[in-house]
Amino acid sequence: MRVVHYLNQFFGGLGGEEKAGAPLEVRDGAVGPGLLLEQLLGGNAKVVTTLVCGDNYAVEKQEAMISSALEKIRDAKPDLFAAGPCFLAGRYGITAGALCSVVQSKLGIPVVTGMSEENPGVDLYRGMLYIVDSGSNSARMRDVLARMANLAKKLMNHAEIGLPAEEGYLPRGLIRDRFVEQTAAQRLVAMVLAKVKGEPFESEMMPTAFAPIPMPPALKDLAKAKVMLITDGGLVPKGNPDKIQGSAATRWGSYKIEGCDDLKAEDYEISHGGYDPQFVRQDPDRLVPLDAMRELEREGVIGKLHDEFISTSGLANPLSNTRRMGREMAERVKQLGIDAVILTST
Amino acid sequence: MVGSNRTVRGNGIVHVVGDANVSPEQEKELRRKLVEKALETLRSEKESF
Repeated sequence: MRVVHYLNQFFGGLGGEEKAGAPLEVRDGAVGPGLLLEQLLGGNAKVVTTLVCGDNYAVEKQEAMISSALEKIRDAKPDLFAAGPCFLAGRYGITAGALCSVVQSKLGIPVVTGMSEENPGVDLYRGMLYIVDSGSNSARMRDVLARMANLAKKLMNHAEIGLPAEEGYLPRGLIRDRFVEQTAAQRLVAMVLAKVKGEPFESEMMPTAFAPIPMPPALKDLAKAKVMLITDGGLVPKGNPDKIQGSAATRWGSYKIEGCDDLKAEDYEISHGGYDPQFVRQDPDRLVPLDAMRELEREGVIGKLHDEFISTSGLANPLSNTRRMGREMAERVKQLGIDAVILTST
Repeated sequence: MVGSNRTVRGNGIVHVVGDANVSPEQEKELRRKLVEKALETLRSEKESF
């Protein structure tokens, strides 16, 4: 069994955060946790190649790095690709998920990784991959690798994969049909009775949970504040240069409004299938209130209106897209030193 | 509203900070008031408005 393993700079032995810019390296044989993985896979399993890359390099040059990694993985002719486990490391998890996903689809071989449930890589890739629930404690490496190895062996043997709780992977949000003893009505009544009695019960469907985000403190001095406009109403420059999709958008754009007092109808269009765009087409300020903000800026009510607005379409957009885009936008807003954002939504 | 803080109710879906049923002057006034309300939330520790 030929295995290729991906590790970040830390688990790959290059160093800590100071080595996060390290470019992709190829090593022969197993490195670090890969040695244990090999052992746990047993039989004739051999990690033939280990890819090591710095977390910053991996996310900043994602496309190029993945393309290059895919070639190297292909060259190694593996039967299995494993990444991580990444625990809570977000850049690592996002990269591991992206690599596993691309290897799975382009090479058609089994892939396995491990992350903590809160790792941003989980949201992005849970539906496509088997992500072992590693928890956040890297001291449990052996146990996590053991579950990764078991899952990997099952995948390679095309064995039936059990439920998340049984196999130790994170629920993928997929629904599978099964025959059971009791009808839905019977199961539902049993759950209600248990709930009323204060007894434990297990829900069959989990509603989406939104982790509570603490409200940021209020602005102390609005007159000095740098404010930025963002919208999810899909307002884009004519021609939609970034090709932002009207529905389930995966992209967002940032558009210049320097020196503009007013958004002109002929300069913009709407990429959003969820509302009648005629009124915003007539006057885009009806969605992105540039004219009002400019007035307030001139009057000194706010310190400065940032000279770009950010836009995407919020229509029918799964959390896997919007959580990522929100994070990316927040990163940008932070980089620009913006004090506050007004987000307008249809 | 799903636990969002600092949310101001806009003027409907199709023109959240506008109004197609009033004169341009009235519309500008409405837009300004909504934006001012938004700015007020940014200065306040109140969760809902």
